[in-house]
Amino acid sequence: MLRSSGALAATTAVLAACSSTKPSVARIGMSPTTVKLEDLAVTDVILLRTAMSMETMAAAMLSDSAVTALATKDSASVIAAFATDHTSHLQDLRVLISARNGEAYSETNTKLMEAYGQNALDLVASGKLPADTLALTLAVETLIAATYQYFVSLTAEPALRADMVRLGGRSSRRAAVAAQLINGGTAGFAPATDAAGAPLVATLPGAFGSLSAVQVQLGPVNDTGTRATVLMDTPSLNSLIY
Amino acid sequence: MSMTTRRRLIASLLAGGAVVAAAPLFAGHASAAENTAPPHRDAADNDALDACLERESRMVATYRIAVAGLTGDDLAAMTLILDHHVAYAQALKGYLAVEAHKPSNAPLASPAGSLSSIARQLATLEDQTATIHTNAIGTIKGLDAATLLASIVTVEARHAAALELIAGSSPIAAVGN
Repeated sequence: MLRSSGALAATTAVLAACSSTKPSVARIGMSPTTVKLEDLAVTDVILLRTAMSMETMAAAMLSDSAVTALATKDSASVIAAFATDHTSHLQDLRVLISARNGEAYSETNTKLMEAYGQNALDLVASGKLPADTLALTLAVETLIAATYQYFVSLTAEPALRADMVRLGGRSSRRAAVAAQLINGGTAGFAPATDAAGAPLVATLPGAFGSLSAVQVQLGPVNDTGTRATVLMDTPSLNSLIY
Repeated sequence: MSMTTRRRLIASLLAGGAVVAAAPLFAGHASAAENTAPPHRDAADNDALDACLERESRMVATYRIAVAGLTGDDLAAMTLILDHHVAYAQALKGYLAVEAHKPSNAPLASPAGSLSSIARQLATLEDQTATIHTNAIGTIKGLDAATLLASIVTVEARHAAALELIAGSSPIAAVGN
């Protein structure tokens, strides 16, 4: 009886302590209530929607007045054709999304425009250098090609991976053409530097497609004698279109 | 309560508990079946990858013929592309390891002469190679192999467009429009 009453008392004490609603540690102020984020799976439809946002962003950037106002006569038609290509890819992507009962996405990738897209356009406008229009074009096409290449590693359905590669291959071809327009001929195929040691644009910068951030120098020369370098990353979890 | 009845009751309680305990396990398996991640490797892909390896080996043989008659920047550029195809063949061979069949070394063509005269032929071969790899990506299940092939096609597309320009195509035509 003593044992059982002691156990009962101990249990009662534990229960009393556990049931207390008053905080045991003093604190100042109110701590906000946190809301647990919803767990979202990256599905093939999400990748396709994100691809639509990237193609829309590419078309918008290459059609922006900052680019069209500065492009030379020779490059203006090429850049405009590239922008049209990106718009035409949207229809291909709509078909792929619709086949998977998804909803198409018609807007630009706001997150990435804020991260680097608008900055790049502002630099082109402020620099007023015609060469920047082709540099930006090369960067955008390299970015889109890398995006599709990256998405292959996230895509569940093999047939869709092939479609991603086909679309990415088009941007790769455009990137090669843009690189040749900047630094043409066979001398421009391999990575090289000029007499001052500055790297030249290469049509074939590597044997395998790179997924590193695309780097492009744009805009005016600043006080230190250098130009701004914009880093363009492929979409990741916080810039996918869910 | 008789021993038999008590035994039956305990047995039914245990069985019920086992079902309750197993329910999350089955539910877990059901959701795993719905959200199965693609495999990283699949032995069923080996035949398709062997075909890709064979194609790259034959591209190497073709470019060895092409560079023989070139000089200067043209030689450097075509040697670069040759080196790329060597790297692709080595990457595929490394991936397949002991499963790789011995690929053919027969060239796909015999491009000879100036680069401007053979560039279009080489561009066509690049396009065909990229198509072979892309079609393979559409059939293989393993993610690692698909990722490798995608990184190859990304650059072979550049090879094709650059060679089209060297052959005299306009920039817009070189894209494939």
